[in-house]
Amino acid sequence: MEEKRHTSAEYERELQEIKDGLLYLGALTEKALENGSVALLERNSELAGRIVREDEQIDRLDVELEEKCIRLLALRQPAARDLRFITTAIKITGHLERIGDMAANIAEKVIILNDLPQIKPYVDLPRMVEISRGMIRKSMDAMVHEDIGLAMKVREEDTVIDQLNDQIFRELLTFMMEDPRKIQVCLYVMQISKSLERIADHAEGIADMVIYMVTGKSVRHKQAAMENR
Amino acid sequence: MKARLVTKLLIAFVATGILVAAAAEFLVERQLKRGLTRWIEDEMTAEANIISLIPMEEIAKYAVELAERSRSRLTLIDATGKVITDTDRRDVEMDSHLNRSEIQEARLKGNGASVRYSHSLKMDMLYVAFLLGDPKQPKGYIRLSRSLQAVTGSINQLRQSVMQDLLLVAFFALLIALLFSLRLISPIRKLVAFTEKARTGNISGQIRIESRDEIGALAENINGMVEVLHEKIRNADEERRKLQSVFSGMAEGIMVLDPRNRIETINRGMEEMIGSRSGDIFGRTIIEAFRNIPLHDALERFLTTRETVFQEISLGDETPIVLDVTLSAIPGEAGGEQKTILVFHDVTRLKKLERIRTDFVANVTHEIRTPLTAIIGFVETLEQGAADDRGKAREFLRTIRENAMRLNRLVDDLLILSGIELGEANLHPERVAPGEALKQVLPLVGARISEKKLRILKEIPEEIPAIRADKDRLAQILLNILDNAIKFTPFGGTISVSASPGAEGFLTIRIADTGVGIPKGEIPRLGERFYRADKTRSREPGGTGLGLSIVKHLMKAHGGWIGIDSTLGHGTTVSLHFPIFQEAP
Repeated sequence: MEEKRHTSAEYERELQEIKDGLLYLGALTEKALENGSVALLERNSELAGRIVREDEQIDRLDVELEEKCIRLLALRQPAARDLRFITTAIKITGHLERIGDMAANIAEKVIILNDLPQIKPYVDLPRMVEISRGMIRKSMDAMVHEDIGLAMKVREEDTVIDQLNDQIFRELLTFMMEDPRKIQVCLYVMQISKSLERIADHAEGIADMVIYMVTGKSVRHKQAAMENR
Repeated sequence: MKARLVTKLLIAFVATGILVAAAAEFLVERQLKRGLTRWIEDEMTAEANIISLIPMEEIAKYAVELAERSRSRLTLIDATGKVITDTDRRDVEMDSHLNRSEIQEARLKGNGASVRYSHSLKMDMLYVAFLLGDPKQPKGYIRLSRSLQAVTGSINQLRQSVMQDLLLVAFFALLIALLFSLRLISPIRKLVAFTEKARTGNISGQIRIESRDEIGALAENINGMVEVLHEKIRNADEERRKLQSVFSGMAEGIMVLDPRNRIETINRGMEEMIGSRSGDIFGRTIIEAFRNIPLHDALERFLTTRETVFQEISLGDETPIVLDVTLSAIPGEAGGEQKTILVFHDVTRLKKLERIRTDFVANVTHEIRTPLTAIIGFVETLEQGAADDRGKAREFLRTIRENAMRLNRLVDDLLILSGIELGEANLHPERVAPGEALKQVLPLVGARISEKKLRILKEIPEEIPAIRADKDRLAQILLNILDNAIKFTPFGGTISVSASPGAEGFLTIRIADTGVGIPKGEIPRLGERFYRADKTRSREPGGTGLGLSIVKHLMKAHGGWIGIDSTLGHGTTVSLHFPIFQEAP
């Protein structure tokens, strides 16, 4: 009896460790994204360099977390909800790792951009950063509170990001047509915008996993199916 | 209670009773048997004695009659032990009786007796023998024997009646024992109830037991203990209340983590620091509740080293607060699981002041250096021969003059600002109609408005109340805000100026533009001297970076305040809240 209670407490602790690990990873990616925005706006290449370096930490944590999940699966053979949580966690950590990579990509582009003349004040990019950061945060919040409503909200916000991305694309297109010398800068800005759009997609992926975790239902490809009809 | 005290006592009483009764019965029975046997023996000896007077031949002849009259079996034995006659076994040849113990005894003493179990009759028999003739030359022996059945029978009868009496006595004894034990138990029961009540926390009153024995003493002791306990609890309670009020009253935030590192308690100071989030953090881990990397790392560091950790963190997104956190252990039992205490100290204001000061120094030197560099450069150029070219020289001198003027303006602004900050604004408040004030200011910026092809929308109703303001200062405020609006609104944009009654007793003048807007996080810093939301924007000529700072302080001096609301990409709205002019009574 005592032994059993002990192991169950241990198991509980391991589950919490995974949850905390995910949240930590989420906070790291959020921070990387925020710093990326600051580095872009303040033309701070030193800060951007740090983001690129710190991506290694995100990658390492991702591997660690995945190993933890697999060990737990093998040793404890969790069932039902716990099993769903752990499989979900494996997927979420993958998404977060990709977000980290995107943030590092953005930082690399920022370093290049900082050496080129700026063509106009950045307006939409900071907005995209703000929204996509919010999406990461909300999806992690949804995981903590098992809040499906919040996860749904994240899915909705993805469309805003897509619109902003399109808007930036059109705007930059006019700049490039006006003056070929601006093409280089515009292409980098476009890549950043694209990365942000991908980050939002990953955040949406996390939200989908949270919905699956809570309800056991997959919503990932529902939308696509509905659009095809 | 499994075996209750009453049951135990009763069992003890009954066992003692049974034991005593059994012992008594056994002793009486033995004594009785002995006495009765002796009595019969005496009687038979007397009979044998009488018979012995009869000559032996006569005895043999009248043996049966003698036996009948004495209700005994009669055996006549000659000197050699040969049985001459036996009333019960007349036809049987019998062996020598000389070795029987009663005969042996009679040979020596004249008479003898013994009790033996007769196998032929299957009962205890009493034998009494008597010597016939001279002891030196015995002629024979007469032996009487009688069954002891009568004795056994009367003993059985006795046993039966004793048993009946005993049962009756035992019943009464049990009754008495029950009453006695109940009486003994009742104060103990009272004590149990009282201590039970005390154990569950309801310690009050005293226990009354009218008894001078050990139980009475026990009750007295318990009363004493309760009193001491009462005192102790009251002291502890007071101590706890004191700590509680310190805990909840202090401005520092305090958070306690349980041994599993989940949030257990926070004080009111902490609640205020974290605001809306405070409801949902109990039982969560630090990373779950705050998603804060430095805080989580600090906790990890503390948990591995078990030494007090200091860390500066910033919390919150919209309006971040800077906190100094101290993590330390709550000393518990040695080796037991330990709780962690986190003390948060809000240093936001300190940090802000510190940053404003360093920023100010950095900015003011930068602002001074830019025109100085220009002045020095042009002077050097003039010295190196440009002075000879009259056209160039005049142009350079004009640039030098412009930069010197800029320096002068900067110094003026700084002086104004420090004057207002020190409370030396020297306002002359009077009744001013907002529309009038605007009419005076607009021509001053008219050139720049038409240059950028901006549209100005005025929405100032005639009937709105006048405000209480210093005319010159009001112009300065409006000019500053309009200046900013023009600066940040792109070509062809719109600037709208409106006025409407705002909060109780205040009128609000709104100046909204369709410019680039300001990120939310930057808004609180806008009033700082030299602060620029857009750091990449090259400094426009003429701007000293002190405009908004001056406006902010002037509004304060007027008894009003400034509000800034902005959406990135959509524009900024500045709200100036002025007190409405009140006629002096």
